[in-house]
Amino acid sequence: MVLAGGRGERLYPLTRDRAKPAVAFGGIYRIIDFTLSNCINSDIRRIYIITQYKSVSLHRHIQLGWNILSSPLGEFIEIIPAQQRIDEHWYQGTADAFFQNIYTLQQERPDLVLILSGDHIYKMDYRKMIAFHLEKKADLTVAAIRMRREESREFGVIEVDRDWRIIGFEEKPEDPKTVPGDPEGILASMGVYVFNIELLVKRLIEDARSDSTHDFGRDIIPSMIEKDQVFAFDFRQGDQGGVGYWRDVGTIDAYFEANMDLVSVTPQLNLYDSQWPILTYQSPNPPAKTVWAEDARVGTALNSIISNGCIISGGSVKRSILSPRVTIHSHAEIEDCILLEGVDVGRYAKIRRTIIDKEAQIPQGMEIGYNLDEDARRFTVTGSGIVVVPKGIRL
Amino acid sequence: MKKKILVVDDEEGLRLLYEEVLKEEGYEVLTARNGREAIQQLEAGKPDLIILDIVMPVMDGMEALGRIVGKDRKIPIILNTSYGGYQQDFMSWAADAYLTKSADFSELKNKVRELLRQR
Repeated sequence: MVLAGGRGERLYPLTRDRAKPAVAFGGIYRIIDFTLSNCINSDIRRIYIITQYKSVSLHRHIQLGWNILSSPLGEFIEIIPAQQRIDEHWYQGTADAFFQNIYTLQQERPDLVLILSGDHIYKMDYRKMIAFHLEKKADLTVAAIRMRREESREFGVIEVDRDWRIIGFEEKPEDPKTVPGDPEGILASMGVYVFNIELLVKRLIEDARSDSTHDFGRDIIPSMIEKDQVFAFDFRQGDQGGVGYWRDVGTIDAYFEANMDLVSVTPQLNLYDSQWPILTYQSPNPPAKTVWAEDARVGTALNSIISNGCIISGGSVKRSILSPRVTIHSHAEIEDCILLEGVDVGRYAKIRRTIIDKEAQIPQGMEIGYNLDEDARRFTVTGSGIVVVPKGIRL
Repeated sequence: MKKKILVVDDEEGLRLLYEEVLKEEGYEVLTARNGREAIQQLEAGKPDLIILDIVMPVMDGMEALGRIVGKDRKIPIILNTSYGGYQQDFMSWAADAYLTKSADFSELKNKVRELLRQR
């Protein structure tokens, strides 16, 4: 079950019109594609996606791109929007989202439930985690990744004993428990859980009938550590990338950095592994194209990812990611940018360190990313100076 | 102050019977004929405990159970049914007790007492 209901407020304005899992990534992907691809590549083919806020864009993407399983074989990817079947409120936390969908668990009644977040980018073989869960005879297994101690305030921090049994869990602690034998390292929860169904239901109900924040990290896991068999699974044992790559991309800066990793010569996130393909939806577009090669007018793209349907017509693109159907007109200069689908950059425009959301039209001669004070009057500018131009803007 | 119990059952005869038995035990009794009325009574009558039948018209007990918990997380609920099979339903686990209807009311009376004491 994939939780895809997060607002992703720190990614605003990219999440102005869509939930975080539906935000574009790496040119042609949406963030949720990574989790769903992990499922398919792990041979998990009965998948529910729990949505809530601004889910239209996500629904469309799933419908168009993920209609790939065989229902006669009992396989499915099904979206469950918030139905208010139990409570008249929207989900109050991640645990509440599951309690409210208790009928779905009932209907399906599997032995194990793999709970995932549609918010993260990583490549992981969930089968290895499930095997570990069974081997340990665990009630709950939580996937854990090593992070540096300074990052503890961003994550749920897991404390384990030598057997990887979880003996403590703290949400975003100031002073975290470190990994045994590594005083600078912590184990962070990846928001990936394997639960035995009956215990999951019991703990969800207990949580639903108590005053809590109804959150897996804050409420369910700490309560289970005391009474149940709870283990941590070392991400390194299931990491398909082999380099410990896992990103929350929760902020614009993190999103920008994770995208920019992809244009490096050897990115940490390898999208070329044919054993672990990342699936997505792509509308039928012609191949990318560059035109004009005259003395003063050259269409070029260097160190960049250029998706189908793009035309670089006499402009230059460096260290950038272009989603499908982006057009760069003559003499425009694009550097360190992420341009989402359908963006049109007019002649002589100069843009750097900027994310431009879908279908925005940048007029001739406009400069963005060169005078941040000026930019901040119109756009979101992050602390590290990344400018975000919202979807559909006509300047 | 007398504790207030909401009895939800679609059979009028049973409602009257439970009402009599519980009043003898010293409780004030509210009644509802189905899940929808139970939710109305939950808000209007502020009961301390609910005895809830499962198979009812309009809104059955299992759906009402979820909705009641959605409105009042902590109110004790006893599922009281003629059938045992509903214990397979995950939602039934949200009730504090699952009793099978019987002509002997001692189990029900004990459960009510126990749950009200814990409250």
